[in-house]
Amino acid sequence: MSAAGASLLATLAALTLVKSTPIIYAALGGVVSERSGIINIGLEGMMAGGAFTAVVFSGLTGAPVIGVLAGIAAGALLGLVLGVAATVFKVDQIVAGTGINLVALGGAAYALTLLYDQPGASPQVNALGSNYWILVAAAFACALLLHAVLYYTPWGLRVRACGENPRAVYDAGLRPLRLRLYAVILSGALAGLGGAFLSIGEVNIYSDGMTAGRGFIALAAVIFGRWTPWGATGAAIFFGFFEALQYVLQGRIAWLPSDAMQAIPYVAALVAIAGLVGKVRAPAADGIPY
Amino acid sequence: MEAGSNLNRDVLLSLRGICKAFPGVRAVDGVDLDLHSHEIHALVGENGAGKSTLASIAFGALRPDSGAVDTHGNSVGLVHQHFQLVGRLTVWQNVLLGREPRSGWRIDARAARQRVVQLARENALDIDPDAYVDELPIGMQQRVELLRELEREPAVLLLDEPTAALAPAEIEGFFQTIVRLAEHGRAILIVTHKLQEVIAYSGRVSVMRHGKIVGRFATAQTSVEEIARAMVGGNLPTVAARAQVAPAPCFRMERVRAGTGSSAVHDVSLEVRAGEIVGIAGVEGNGQSTLADAIAGMVPFSGTIAFAQEHARRSVIPQDRHREGLVLAWSLVENAVLGRQRLPRVRRGAIVDRDAARADAQRIVERFDVRASSLDVAARTLSGGNQQKLLVGRALLDDPQFVLAYQPTRGIDVGASALVQSRLVEARNAGAAILLISFDLDEILALADRVLVLYRGAIAGEFSGDAIDRARIGRLMAGAAA
Amino acid sequence: MNALRSALAGPAGAILLAFFLAACAMLLAGVSPADGFEALFIGSLGGRQQIAETLVQTTALLFPALGICLAFRAGLFNIGAEGQLLIGGLAAGAAGAHFAAATPLAAFVLLACGFVGGGFWGAIAGWLRAQFNANEVISTLMLNFVAFNVASYLVSGPLKSPAATGAETAPLPTSSWLPLLLPDTRLSIGLLIALLAAFVLRWVLSRTVFGFELRAAGDAPEAARRNGVNMPRMTLLALTLSGAIAGLGGASIVAGVLHRFNTQMSPGYGYTAIAVALVGDLNPLWICVAAFGFGILEAGGLAMQALADVPKDAIHVIEGLIILVLAARRYIATRTQAAPI
Repeated sequence: MSAAGASLLATLAALTLVKSTPIIYAALGGVVSERSGIINIGLEGMMAGGAFTAVVFSGLTGAPVIGVLAGIAAGALLGLVLGVAATVFKVDQIVAGTGINLVALGGAAYALTLLYDQPGASPQVNALGSNYWILVAAAFACALLLHAVLYYTPWGLRVRACGENPRAVYDAGLRPLRLRLYAVILSGALAGLGGAFLSIGEVNIYSDGMTAGRGFIALAAVIFGRWTPWGATGAAIFFGFFEALQYVLQGRIAWLPSDAMQAIPYVAALVAIAGLVGKVRAPAADGIPY
Repeated sequence: MEAGSNLNRDVLLSLRGICKAFPGVRAVDGVDLDLHSHEIHALVGENGAGKSTLASIAFGALRPDSGAVDTHGNSVGLVHQHFQLVGRLTVWQNVLLGREPRSGWRIDARAARQRVVQLARENALDIDPDAYVDELPIGMQQRVELLRELEREPAVLLLDEPTAALAPAEIEGFFQTIVRLAEHGRAILIVTHKLQEVIAYSGRVSVMRHGKIVGRFATAQTSVEEIARAMVGGNLPTVAARAQVAPAPCFRMERVRAGTGSSAVHDVSLEVRAGEIVGIAGVEGNGQSTLADAIAGMVPFSGTIAFAQEHARRSVIPQDRHREGLVLAWSLVENAVLGRQRLPRVRRGAIVDRDAARADAQRIVERFDVRASSLDVAARTLSGGNQQKLLVGRALLDDPQFVLAYQPTRGIDVGASALVQSRLVEARNAGAAILLISFDLDEILALADRVLVLYRGAIAGEFSGDAIDRARIGRLMAGAAA
Repeated sequence: MNALRSALAGPAGAILLAFFLAACAMLLAGVSPADGFEALFIGSLGGRQQIAETLVQTTALLFPALGICLAFRAGLFNIGAEGQLLIGGLAAGAAGAHFAAATPLAAFVLLACGFVGGGFWGAIAGWLRAQFNANEVISTLMLNFVAFNVASYLVSGPLKSPAATGAETAPLPTSSWLPLLLPDTRLSIGLLIALLAAFVLRWVLSRTVFGFELRAAGDAPEAARRNGVNMPRMTLLALTLSGAIAGLGGASIVAGVLHRFNTQMSPGYGYTAIAVALVGDLNPLWICVAAFGFGILEAGGLAMQALADVPKDAIHVIEGLIILVLAARRYIATRTQAAPI
C-alpha cells in the first residue's frame, strides 16, 4: 500500500474513533436504560443538553473539565425528568422522550440567544484541545465498566431483572421503580458526557442542531448491539465509521455529492435496524410501566 | 397427613375483616382467617371466589380496602399461580435476587450456586442452578419459584394453585415437600380448587364463595361432597346428555406440526364432526396454545388443517379475553363487531353498519345475560364473567359451524360458567362442531362427547362414550400409560 | 397524586401550564409577562393580517398533526412528519416548476404530488416496520435527516432555479398557486382543505371498516391480529397515509404560501405537530382547535421576538413541555406488540 493510502487509512481510523465516541456514550446510556425497562428516546435531548451546558460552564470557568462535569450533570438532570415521568407518572415513555428532546433542543437554542445574544452558535470556549483523547479512551472504559456492572454486580442483576419482570423484583423485596429511575439518570449522564465531547472535545463551541440525530443513531446502535454494552459499542463504531468515511471521501469522489454522503450514517442506521437476522429480543418489560 | 393436635400451634398470620373491591366486583368481602404453625390450611373455592386476591393481601402485595393483616412479626412467602420469574436469568439468579452473596464488589456466583444446590437438596427439589428459567418445563419453573420463597425462610408460606401445572406424579413429590415444611413448624396456606388434594393433605379447610368464607372444616371430619356443596352453594351441576352425532366430519387435522421447544405440537391428527364436542384434556403447558394458534391461523404449521366446507363459518373463543378477544377501551357495540367487521351483515361497502352492530350487541346481551349498564359503556367496566359472556356470545352469534373454544370459562364465576357451558351445548345440539381445549378436566368431562388427551404436544389417547374414564385420562395426562 | 395527575394531564391543564411557562420565559428574557403576552396576542390576533398569518400557521400545523394522529391511532409512532412534509413540498415544488403549470387545476396537481411524495416517504418506514419489524421511531427519525439531504441535493443541483441565488426551485407560475382565501394575505384555501381533511379523517376513523381495523390495531394489537386485521398491511397503509397527509401539508405550504420550494420551508412543523396531535387528544376535530392554538403561538412568537425581545425558541421549549405533560393523558397501549427499540 502506498504511503498516501496508509495515511488515509490512519486518518479514517482515528476519525472513526472520534466520531464514534459520542455515539458510544449515548448508546451505553441507551443500554442501561432499556435493560432496566425504560425506553429512552430522549438521548438526543440529553446529548444536546450536555453539549450546551458543557460550553456554558467551560466559558464561565475557563476550565473545560468543569464543562465536562456540567455536561454530565445536565444529562443526568434530564434523565431524572424522564425517569420521574416514567416511574411516578407512568407516562408513555416514547412521548415523554420526545418531549424531552424538544425541551432540551429548544431550551438550548433559547438559552443561546439569552446568554450570548447570538442565535445559532455560541462563542468559542476553552475546549479539551489535545486532551480529547482521554474521553475517547474513557468511552471504552465505560463500556467495560458497564459490562462488569450489568453482569457481575448485584445492582446490575437487579436492574436487568427490572427490565424483564419488575414484579419479580418487587417480590424479592426490592424497589423496581427506584432501580429504573437510577438507571435512567445514569443513562442521561452518559448521554450528557457524549454531548460534552461533541461540543468541547471535538470542537469548542455549541451550535444549534449539532447533535444531528446522534441520539437516535445511538438507539439504533443499542438494537443492533442487542442491548449489550459491547454490542452497542461495536454498533456505535460501525455508525461512526460511516460518518468518518463521509469526511474522508469529501470531494474525493466526484460523482457522490456531499448531501448523499451526509445521509450515509442515517441510511446505515436504517439498514441496521432493518437487516436484523435472527431473534431480536428487547428486555421483556421494556416500555411497560410498572 | 395432618398435624397432630397435641403440638403447640401458634397463630402465625391473622386476617381480620379483610375487604377488597375491584371495579365491578367485591373480590373479598369481610374475611377472617388464622394460619397456625405446623398446619396445612386449604383455601378452596370456585374460580373468581376471591382466593388469589386474599392470598396477595396476606402476602402484602395488595393492600386491602379495609381490615387488618397481622403477621405477628413473621415473614411471609407467596408462590404465585402464574410464576413471577425472570425468564432470561438463571435459576440461582432468580432464587437469590436481592440476597446475592458477594465477594467484594461482585456477586459470588460460586457461593450462589452452592447455596441453591444445598437448598434444593434440603427440600428434595433437585434443580440445575445454571439453567435458564425460560428453558425449563413448567414443573421445574415452579420449583424455582418455591425455592426462591424458601430461601427467605418464611414462617408462613402461601401457595396459589400450586399443582395447576403439575402432572399427577409431580404432585405427590410436591406435597411431600410441603408436608415436611409444615412438620418443621411453618404455616402453609394452599389456595386450590382440587378437592382430592385437600382431603389428602390438609389439616383444615376454609371455603370461599363470592368473597366470603362460607364454611370452615377440619379435614378429618369432612368429605369432598360437603366441601363441594359449600363451594357451589348447592349440588354439583349435572352432566349434559351426550349427543347423537352425525357422521359428517366438519373439521380435520392431519399430522400437524407447529411451534418449537416445550410448547410444540407433533403430528396431531384429529377430527371433529358436526354436532359433537371434542374435548382436548391436558395439563397446561403441553402444547395447547400452539394447537389453538395453529387452528386459528396465527402460527405457521405443517400438515393439514381443513374444513369439510371451504367457507364454513368458524369462530374462536380465545384463551385471554383481555389481550386476544376484546378491546377493553371500546364499547360493547364495537366489541360485538370485532372479528366480524367484514361480514356482509355488518359491513355496508366501506362503512360499518351501526344499526346492525347495535342490534347484534343487543342480541348478545340478551342471550348471554351480559350485565352492563348500557351498550355504550367500555368493556373494561364489565366484570370478568360478563366480559367472557360477551366474548362467547360474539363467537356464537353467527351460528358458526365450527367453534374453537379455548378455556371458555377461565377465571369466571359459577353462574357465568354454567351459562357459557350450556350455550356451547346448545350450539352443539344445533349441529356445530366444537373443539374444546380446557385445563379443567371436570369441564371436559361434563361437556365433551369425545376426549383426546394432549401430552407433550401429541395426542396420547382418545376416549368416547362409555370408555371415558377419569382415572385413565388422568394417567395419560401425566404421561403414564393408560 | 392521581387527582393532581388528571388535573395536570388534560389539554386544559397543558395550556395553563404553557401560559405559566411562557410567563417564566418572558421573565427570564427580562421582559414583563404583560408586555410579552400583549405582543403575543397582538401579533397573532390583532388585525386582519395577523389573523391571516395565524391561520397560515394553523394550516401548516394541521396537516402533519392529522397525519400523526392517524399513525398514533394505529399504534405507530410517526415522528417523521417533518421529513414527509419536506418531501411532499419538494414533490410539489418540482412539479410546479417543471410541468404542472400547463395542466388545468395545476394547484391541485401540486397537492396530489405532495400527497404521493409524502406517502412514499411514509411508506419506506411502513415497509421497514411491516417487513423487518424495524422500529418506526428510529426509522422515521432517520428518514427526516435523509429527506433533508435528498431535498438539499436536489435543489442545489438538478432542480435549482436558474434565476435564484439560493438553493431552491424556480418560483412557481401563478397558475399553480392555490387560490387565496383572504386577499392581500398569505392565507390560501389550504386551510379549507386541511379542515376538510380533518372531517374526512374523523369520518374514516369512526365509520369505516378500515378505520375500525386501524383503531383496533392501535388499541388492542393482539386482539386485532386475531380478529381479521392484517397487521403488516395495516402498518404499511397507516404509515403511508400518515406521510401522505403530512406531504399534503408540505405541498400546501409550497403551493399556497411560499410558491417555491427550499429546504428551510418548515421551522419544525413536523415536530410541533406531535404536540398538536396530543393536545387534540388524537381526535381530528379537537386537533383543529389545537392547531389554531399553536398557530397563535407560532405567529405570535415571531411578533413576540420582534416587539418584546423574547426569543422565538421559547415557544419550542413550551411545546416540548406540553408534550411531556400530556404524555400522561393517553397511554398508547401498543408497547406489548412494539418493534424492538
